[in-house]
Amino acid sequence: VQPPEKPLQAEEWNKLREDFQSPEVFEEVMLNSMIRCNSPIDVAKSLLTHVAKRDGDIAYNVLVKYLTLCVQQGQVSEIHDVYDIMKGRFRILESGAYNLLTKGFSNSNQWRMALTVLEEVKKVMIPSRTCYESCIKAASRHQEMKLGFELYNEMLAKDVVPTLDVLQSFFDFSRGVKGAELQKELFGILLYLRENQIYPHRTFMRSIKLWFESLPGGNWRGRLTKIKDGGQCPVCNHQLEDSNLTEEEYSNLSERIIRDVIHGTDTFRKTSPKEFEAFQTFVESRLPFDIVIDGLNVSHIKSRKMQCENLFDAVNYLAKDNARLLVLGRKHMLMNTSNWKPETMKKMQNKADFFFAENISEDDAFLLYATLRSGKHCRFVTRDFLRDHKACLSDSLTRHLFRKWQRGHQIALKKCFPSVFSQQPAFRYDCVVQTTGDTWHIPYKDVFEEKYSYRVPGKWLCIQQKS
Amino acid sequence: MQSANMLLRRIVRSAVLPFAAQQGMKKDLFPHSRTLSLALCLKQDKSCEPSEKLDLDEWKKVMKSGLQEEVSGAVSEAKELSSLAAARETLEMWRLAGRAVPENISEEQLKAFMECPSKSAKKKYLKYLHLKELHKKNDKRKMDEKRERRLEAQDQASKTDETKKRSFICLWSSTMDKAYNWRAAQSMIFGQPLVFDMSYEKEMSVREVANTVRQIVQSESCNRRSVDPFHIHFCNFKEDSLYHREFIKNYREAWDKLLITVTDQCYTEIFPKDKLIYLTADSPKVMKTFDHDKIYIVGSMVDKSIKTGLSLARAKRLGLETAALPLEKYLLWSSGAKNLSLDQMMHILLTLKDTADWKKALEFVPKRKYCGFVNTPVKEMKKTLDVSNTLKLGKGREEVEKRFARNYPKTYKVK
Repeated sequence: VQPPEKPLQAEEWNKLREDFQSPEVFEEVMLNSMIRCNSPIDVAKSLLTHVAKRDGDIAYNVLVKYLTLCVQQGQVSEIHDVYDIMKGRFRILESGAYNLLTKGFSNSNQWRMALTVLEEVKKVMIPSRTCYESCIKAASRHQEMKLGFELYNEMLAKDVVPTLDVLQSFFDFSRGVKGAELQKELFGILLYLRENQIYPHRTFMRSIKLWFESLPGGNWRGRLTKIKDGGQCPVCNHQLEDSNLTEEEYSNLSERIIRDVIHGTDTFRKTSPKEFEAFQTFVESRLPFDIVIDGLNVSHIKSRKMQCENLFDAVNYLAKDNARLLVLGRKHMLMNTSNWKPETMKKMQNKADFFFAENISEDDAFLLYATLRSGKHCRFVTRDFLRDHKACLSDSLTRHLFRKWQRGHQIALKKCFPSVFSQQPAFRYDCVVQTTGDTWHIPYKDVFEEKYSYRVPGKWLCIQQKS
Repeated sequence: MQSANMLLRRIVRSAVLPFAAQQGMKKDLFPHSRTLSLALCLKQDKSCEPSEKLDLDEWKKVMKSGLQEEVSGAVSEAKELSSLAAARETLEMWRLAGRAVPENISEEQLKAFMECPSKSAKKKYLKYLHLKELHKKNDKRKMDEKRERRLEAQDQASKTDETKKRSFICLWSSTMDKAYNWRAAQSMIFGQPLVFDMSYEKEMSVREVANTVRQIVQSESCNRRSVDPFHIHFCNFKEDSLYHREFIKNYREAWDKLLITVTDQCYTEIFPKDKLIYLTADSPKVMKTFDHDKIYIVGSMVDKSIKTGLSLARAKRLGLETAALPLEKYLLWSSGAKNLSLDQMMHILLTLKDTADWKKALEFVPKRKYCGFVNTPVKEMKKTLDVSNTLKLGKGREEVEKRFARNYPKTYKVK
């Protein structure tokens, strides 16, 4: 329906309503289309008046729709009135209305009302992130950074995840403001990014850069750069943190992989206790390996070639530097079939150790175990992203550790021209926000959307302090 | 709420303009009502010189006038809400806002709602209750209509006053029940056993258990009605388990009279191991024929979240043979999981037992999951699959290939 351009009389509304197919929802539909067309507020008012006169009451959802329109147009006094009416009529409101109210008030000069509303919300539920977002933005816009950070910390304490927008607004509004406390809080945000492996997007990165450069007396200077494979920053020659896990992290991760991925709720789901034990003794007796290969995955690299030849090429290539290899496969590879020739298998077994799992077992779990057991230098070869195994880990911290370890230890084989293997070097440096005190290195994404969780940005912001 | 609205309406109707008198008092109550007082001025203007001008803020007055009465009632009621009452109130507000929320909610349901771990879980639960309520209402409406129709028909019948002569007394359902029970009793002595493995309770949520039991009840009823029923065994069945309670909810007194074997023993203790076959969609082995000498085991589980390999793990642990239905061999699968509901399994097994006809048996696989039966030999399968893909997508073959390439890039790096 097309909303009218001018306020209408009751009779005119009545007529419109009668012409509408389902009169019960007429007001709602009409207000929706008013919101869409951003109609003048007087038109909506005339509709409400008509409804109020007819029924002696206005339904809550209609009021919320009207409130949406008011917030959209920044009609502060109207928002106020609607708030009063709602508060008088209903003991509590629901989150939609609260979101609208905080948003409406926070964008006006009565932004403190948004805080009042927030307090009210807290009495009945955990405020939504939109509520917090509006209040924090309003506070920082009015240079009440301390208040903003209080709300931010409160939000984190309640497990409400802040949007990047909120974090960015802190940097935007702190530009040029001096204060050790403030500086500490903002560094805290950067560390929050680090801990949660969040990469800021381009505009957020720019806000961070400008804030650093605006610090009075700090002599901070930010440059955009790309980091090469070696992990050295071309701007300041600083060597980035390496991707190795600490001893503690490493043993933690191995333990969790054995517990959550291999055993899980039932060891029989991925293997069997007998088989796993056999594998363990096999691995222990031949430790340590340099490279562990997922035989079946590698054998499927080229569809035209026979599967065992694909694997043979890979083993030959990787065995060149006298690396100790372990190839994981399944028992069916030992059968003489069109894809698996016993002669080729024999030749391979001279160059590498082989372990054949049952046909219904999952070899990936063995791959992870053998690699972790061999030690930090050991890497593994597979094209699998191991997402399902990551998902088996129960907490996000371990999942981050897993990703980090995977980045540093997974070799992906690239399929190129006939019979040439090119080896992707595993990441030697850790792709995460990092600092040494007088330098900051912050990886950033070009686009807002994060498309693949395994892909890390190659672009960096290098910030150094000139003394 | 409803009654409050009624009250309001009455107030508004009866007292059209007591506002002016209350104006002074209101101002104290509502310090923000600037527009309100403005509106009152406007109103007075209007009364002086009647014109076509609209009073746009009049709705506020109406809303606030009702408030007057309510505030005095509501505030005194209870300042502090208990968490349960607060949740109830929140729900009421959600309902008013037009969300999918049930109108009536019991104390028990409210507690379950509050125990939901996340916002989305809460939303889902409410939607479920809402839909349940709608179904119930619709059913009730239909029942009432039916009853009315029946009464009408009776009226007419009594008017015409026509007596019919029958050779049998009309006792269809109970006679049928007797016949069915006779067959079921026979099956308990001579029938082929079919085992339901009731050991998955820990793996399921309460709702999943309820769904499982519902499916088993349906399976049992269709087994009873069949020409040659299975002898159903519930194995690993624990007294007072969630399963048990759900069964009693479904069967009531009939639970103790069911012609099936219920035991807390494992099937491996009752039957020889080499005769058992565990049916699971994850099995690498595909069932070729239905064997009348084997004992098939069906896992009594509904998994709404994906728990792959759970029943396979159980069979592996006990060292049992496993099998999956040859769905791929006979059907052009289109979408959906390969695991079927328990009553569908029962239909399929019964049909296989009676006819050994896979095509007939697999008619019970839901139609949405496959596009058709495979008639062609295996060699031509691939071609058919391509054709079916093209047909399904309604696009050229290149498009299909392109799609495939996009979804499964041949080269990818880990950066």
